[in-house]
Amino acid sequence: MTRWERSVPVYGVPVLTRGFWALLALIVVGLILTAIREVVGIGGAISGMSDPFAWGLWKTFNVMVLTGLGSGGFAVGIAAWVFNNKKLHSVMRVALLTSCLAYWTGLCMLGVDVGRPWNFYWVVMPWTWNLHSPLLEIAVCMSLYASVPLFLENLPPLFEYIIYEWPQWRGIAEFCEKCMAKVYPFIIGLAYILPIMHQSSLGALMILGGNRVNTLWQTPFLPLIYVWAAGFLGYNCVVLCVLLAKLAWKRDVDPEVLAELNKLTVWIVYSWTAFRFLDIIFRGKIAHLFTDPYALLFWTETALIFGSAYVLSTEKGKKLSTMFMAHAVCALGGMIYRFSPTTLAFHAKDGATYFPSAIELIVSLSFVAIAVLAYLVAVKKLAILPGSNADWLKMAKYEEQVKPGIQLTGYAPVEH
Amino acid sequence: MAMTRREAFKNLAKGSLPLLAAGCVSTALPEVAHAEEEKVAPKGALGLLYDATKCVGCKSCMVACSAANDLKPDTRADGIHQAPPALNYFTKNIIKLYRTADGSDHSYFKQQCMHCVDPGCMNACMFGGLRKDAETGVVWWLGSKCVGCRYCEIACPFHIPAFQWDGFNPKIVKCELCRDHIAKGAKQPGCTEVCPTNAVIYGKREDLLKEAKSRIAANPGKYFEERVYGEHDAGGTQVLYLSRVGFDKIGLPEVGENSIPSGLKYSHMLYKWLALPVALYAGMVAFAGKNFKQHSHHLVEDQKKTGLRPQL
Repeated sequence: MTRWERSVPVYGVPVLTRGFWALLALIVVGLILTAIREVVGIGGAISGMSDPFAWGLWKTFNVMVLTGLGSGGFAVGIAAWVFNNKKLHSVMRVALLTSCLAYWTGLCMLGVDVGRPWNFYWVVMPWTWNLHSPLLEIAVCMSLYASVPLFLENLPPLFEYIIYEWPQWRGIAEFCEKCMAKVYPFIIGLAYILPIMHQSSLGALMILGGNRVNTLWQTPFLPLIYVWAAGFLGYNCVVLCVLLAKLAWKRDVDPEVLAELNKLTVWIVYSWTAFRFLDIIFRGKIAHLFTDPYALLFWTETALIFGSAYVLSTEKGKKLSTMFMAHAVCALGGMIYRFSPTTLAFHAKDGATYFPSAIELIVSLSFVAIAVLAYLVAVKKLAILPGSNADWLKMAKYEEQVKPGIQLTGYAPVEH
Repeated sequence: MAMTRREAFKNLAKGSLPLLAAGCVSTALPEVAHAEEEKVAPKGALGLLYDATKCVGCKSCMVACSAANDLKPDTRADGIHQAPPALNYFTKNIIKLYRTADGSDHSYFKQQCMHCVDPGCMNACMFGGLRKDAETGVVWWLGSKCVGCRYCEIACPFHIPAFQWDGFNPKIVKCELCRDHIAKGAKQPGCTEVCPTNAVIYGKREDLLKEAKSRIAANPGKYFEERVYGEHDAGGTQVLYLSRVGFDKIGLPEVGENSIPSGLKYSHMLYKWLALPVALYAGMVAFAGKNFKQHSHHLVEDQKKTGLRPQL
């Protein structure tokens, strides 16, 4: 049985694969279309958005859904560092990298989506802030989170890369590492409070949508339910990443860590589902669960999320293929939930509907491709994915053959 | 490694400092102090009273509106007539027709910004791109503060703000009660200036409300629900409506008496003085600090065993 003891880069596989070039092609096409959008505007030929449906994929999917999926950094982090769940440290780097990529591509996408991005500079002038606006809270907290704590948390693998690969800079990198260790608790505290705040504000956004958001979703507790959903989505994403690594690069898995991740996922989902039903019952909307035309969507979400969590909690869920499917289905359900208040369960003016245009879709996917591409390069160059000490030694042996002179083992203790 | 109580307090204090500073900044801002007050219309609140029973659907107000606001008439439908399908970035004011399927009943209705007492759009806007005039209560758009996020379109229960979907420099377009037109010397907005039947009139909100109520009193049974739409709806609006047919038929949704921003009152409580976030932050730093020390200790121990460089 394998133990995840340290992060080990994926070694012995090329970075420039066919998939790499395919993703790059998509990104190039997406960026060209983005440039066109900047000149001709957002509506008309570019997107399916309109005045009744003012928010399209770029906000509702790339920001509201995908940053939920990229919530592993704080959801797993809180369990690991605040609640001292030691097993989870091994997957923290995966969680942090996925978070960082989801947030940065989301923020860039937001820059493409808004009509007058040049006015965003007011964000650094607090006296112009409208403190009542949930979107202001998101704009401030999300950019602060992505550019300070989340960014800093993702630096250690880069420092290590420098230490191993560029010995002439080693002194500086080790000094930075030491400084980081001194302030680390303060950084991670910020890395947990900021996402809790803005992930819940993403839900608060739609409170101002009033009765245009279907009553099964619209509740004063929307912020809480939204941030809670980000919790299990983050876990889903981390588990899917490590299982995909097993599939793609035959990385060994640590069943104990996976069991721990599954257990937490299950409990987050159970409490989330229970809270959702309690909220509907206490708001006196229980009849809507059976009569509302949108109830089918509600039950679909619930079935996907709760059903897959139930499978995870059973003996069957220990089989890797079942576990993979369960997390994928759970993530799908969670993503649909995060998508519903803004789009699927949104009653637009005069029954207007929204369907993304081809250009909108390609741009949206190309920003996802940026994150995927960066992830694939990062796990091959940096120590991100979890492995055992034995894996590290194997990797070191391989690398020392390929790059003579590199030293990946036998370091003197570093005092923290 | 256990943490002494002294250390715990020290960590707590250290952890609180950065956000405590942020908290002080935000308490100094006046908005926070007034967050929980019920919003009332300003003394000199201006508005419109539109009586759908008087409107003959001539659409002169639409033409006058375009002229007063220097807007290009939206003739995209047939290239000749100013016939926009809905409010859009060419159109701040529109006359529409409600008609039953069999044609037995109909009513014209006018749509433009309602100039809410507590506007959802203004509450939504990040940097104050939508603002409410302190004296007249007119809600207007300031381009230099607008990011173009279109959250105002989500937050407006009346679906009023329109976004310019073309071009690289889009604007949010909505009725501003002709504040520029009046500043240039006009006595009243374009629409009320030209209305041949006085279906829409301009004045102070309180006078208009009195007028509307006297019309209801003078014509018992004529007006729907014997009430003025906008007196309390969505927390009160400065544009008031009278109608014979149901309000929901003429584009005035049933929104209840609470303003749209009041839906966020629970969320605001959580953020009051940033006390809760600061406390949470301090708590998490305290626990994380303790666990981090323990973890670092293990890392060093591991390194002694394996000879591999510890990873944070």
